[in-house]
Amino acid sequence: MPTDLPYAADAEVSLSYDEIEVLRLQYEKELAQAHITVQTKFNYAWGLVKSPVREHQVEGVRLLQEIYRTEPSRRRECLYYLALGYYKMGNFTDARSFNDLLLSREPTNLQAQSLASLIDKGVAREGYVGMALAGGVAAVGTLLIAGLIRRATRK
Amino acid sequence: MSSKFKGKSANRPDVTRAALDPEQSTVHSKMDLVSKTLFAPFNNKKKDPSRILTDLAPVIMTPRMMNAAATVSSRSRGSLGASAPGGSRLDFATLGRAPMRLTLGTRRITSRDLQIVEATDELLDAEIPEAEGVASDVSLLRGFNATVPSSEKNRTRRKQMRNVETPRIGLKKLGMSARGMMMEDEEERSIASEEDVVVVSRLDERGKRKGKRRGRESLSAAKALGKDELRRQTQEILLDKENLHVRRSLINSEIAEINNKIKALDSIRERLEQDLLKLHEDELELDDELGGVQERIEFEEAAFHQSDDTKTAPAPHVAPSRRRRGPVFLPSEHDELPPGVAFMTLESHLTPIAALDFSEPYGTLVSASQEDSQPRLWDLMTGSEIGRLRGHRGAVKCIQVEDNLCLTGAEDGSVRLWDLRLVDEDDWERDGLADVVEEDEGTTYDGELVEKPNGIRSSESSTAQTGACIRLFEGHSKAVTALYFEDECLVTGASDKTLRHWDLATGQCVMTMDILWAISHPQPTIPGNGIPNHLFPSAAASAGHFAVPTPPSADGSWDMYEDFVGGVQFWGYGLVSGSGDGAVRMWDMRTGQAHRTLMGHTGPVTCLQFDEMHIVSGSLDKSIRIWDVRTGGTFETLKYDHAVTALQFDTRKVIAATGENGVKIYNRTSMQHSSLSTNGHTQPVERLRYMDRYLVSGGRDAAVKIWTL
Repeated sequence: MPTDLPYAADAEVSLSYDEIEVLRLQYEKELAQAHITVQTKFNYAWGLVKSPVREHQVEGVRLLQEIYRTEPSRRRECLYYLALGYYKMGNFTDARSFNDLLLSREPTNLQAQSLASLIDKGVAREGYVGMALAGGVAAVGTLLIAGLIRRATRK
Repeated sequence: MSSKFKGKSANRPDVTRAALDPEQSTVHSKMDLVSKTLFAPFNNKKKDPSRILTDLAPVIMTPRMMNAAATVSSRSRGSLGASAPGGSRLDFATLGRAPMRLTLGTRRITSRDLQIVEATDELLDAEIPEAEGVASDVSLLRGFNATVPSSEKNRTRRKQMRNVETPRIGLKKLGMSARGMMMEDEEERSIASEEDVVVVSRLDERGKRKGKRRGRESLSAAKALGKDELRRQTQEILLDKENLHVRRSLINSEIAEINNKIKALDSIRERLEQDLLKLHEDELELDDELGGVQERIEFEEAAFHQSDDTKTAPAPHVAPSRRRRGPVFLPSEHDELPPGVAFMTLESHLTPIAALDFSEPYGTLVSASQEDSQPRLWDLMTGSEIGRLRGHRGAVKCIQVEDNLCLTGAEDGSVRLWDLRLVDEDDWERDGLADVVEEDEGTTYDGELVEKPNGIRSSESSTAQTGACIRLFEGHSKAVTALYFEDECLVTGASDKTLRHWDLATGQCVMTMDILWAISHPQPTIPGNGIPNHLFPSAAASAGHFAVPTPPSADGSWDMYEDFVGGVQFWGYGLVSGSGDGAVRMWDMRTGQAHRTLMGHTGPVTCLQFDEMHIVSGSLDKSIRIWDVRTGGTFETLKYDHAVTALQFDTRKVIAATGENGVKIYNRTSMQHSSLSTNGHTQPVERLRYMDRYLVSGGRDAAVKIWTL
């Protein structure tokens, strides 16, 4: 199968509310009929993953997991979408584990490679921000303690 | 600390490379150490304690704590998984994320979050097969792009491009009224009226512009789109067509998948239906068994009472074997035999078997062949011939055995009652003497005995001279072709076209029922029984000899069929007979009147049996009919290729001899036909009788075969 996968940037482009609504209605209609086609489920899931709302992303990833579970023939494709979904959710560890699994199968997959670098970047960014925070907290703490000590010594 | 951080951020590329670069392993190991110390508090909190906490008091676990626990545990897993391909991933970034997680994790955590995090491991473990079918043709994204609502965008855009400025013509309203839709809402009505207004105003305009109108040829000419636009549209249309193709293949694959599912479900349903039938069969079997057990209770109670009262009294009759249902007592070895196989063959007859019956499985069998006046007695345990019943002066046509009593009807018009216990020794003596004259004397003596109105006992006292025959019933002027007895009551049917009802104890004929009279005085026909009562005018009208050629059986052989009464059976006062005119008659044994005639067979009835629900009759017309006792209608008709000569049925099956080498079994619950032929007869089967899972059949090949069912 040629790698017919969207790049991560595509996942950042959200669908309009109306479009998600159409997909949702279609999904729910088929849900009520007790037969959901894979495509409908995926459409809705992908629409949700593209959404900037976190609840949507979570739901989207859940649906993708369902597809992954029930459709063995779609698993390889779903690996990428799951990785992308996790990446969008900010869950870099899981994103990486799925993406790595995909890369181990298809080492030449360009989209997966770019996603891997994106994940690394995201991880690093989060790390620095976290470090900065911790540093800030530490700084404030030292300042406070210093102040306290100074106050204590002054007395 | 902040300065330290800055320093680190300066060598960012180094850090990210650290994991890959082996030269930096020392730095890396230091990192590991640092990370371990930093993580120590979290590691304590790892998995198990947090799980215990949630188990103990889920309430006090705030979402944030849950999140922390979840992420920590998932991270440990993640790092484990990642360490396999590319060394430890515990780099600086991971380190820094810890405070980030703990401080900034303010977003709301739902059960969905936990759900998808928990599912990760399971999914990662699942194997990934190669894509096949539609999965390899159409990727999910292609499908998405083809079906997503925006895929229609180009089309609507093109439509809008083609829209021509025209005067308002109220198309919407036209369409609505064409579909017969009434404006329901107040709102809509107001819109409609607005449109009306518009139209009216346009009408005015149109009137004004009448002169201009002839210049306009068509709408399309009114608009120029430009080359680029047209090219773009071409491309868009091609794209749309491709999308349509994708959608079509998607739908086709869905249909194929649904077909597969339907097929799978169908097979499941079939299996379930089979199971249901099996259950039904089991239920019927249990019913039979219950009936048998209850009968046994009655029997044993009665036996107990009688043994109390008088030791000398004969054992009370169990219900006759023909009506007895449920299991019989079989040797345990019988279960080891494969079902549907003839495991014993009795071969000493020289001519086709004409009649047979046995007392119980592995008991005693009496069989008679054509043109043989001496039925043979067999021990079914060993398969050896015990002796012969000597006395009849014509071929024996019908036999019934109950315990040690045996009744035989013969062409000489007589019926004899035998005590099978007395046969062997008696017969051995006779065999030793081999004196025909003495035998003749014995029979005449028998006749004399019977003429005296004695009880069985008196005749038994004289068996020393008379042999095993303890009673002789004479009265029929032609061959006795069918008989049935139960307790002290015997009914015989003969080719003289009468049925006789005898008292077994006294040997007296209680009543004679004339079938010819019943034919000529038909009772009012039952509604629904449309077939007229004179199918065989020749057979019915002629008071003379009855003879019909049988249709050729499977091997082409045929006989003259001369048994006017094919079968009789009674229960209480209800008697059913099947006769040569093709009719099944129901008689009242108190009045001797036929009160109902079941017409349907187009050939002589050769055999019949009934139970509480159904009468089953077989005929030379190559069919078996199952009648409803209460309504008199045909419940079921089984068609065969050759004439039916014998049958027996129970609630679960009908076993029949139908002029073929195999014994035919019809499963009444699953409606399936099967045939017993393993080690079977080499010529068509003519007679059969079974009890529970023990079947005896006799064929034209002069052999008696014993089967397991």
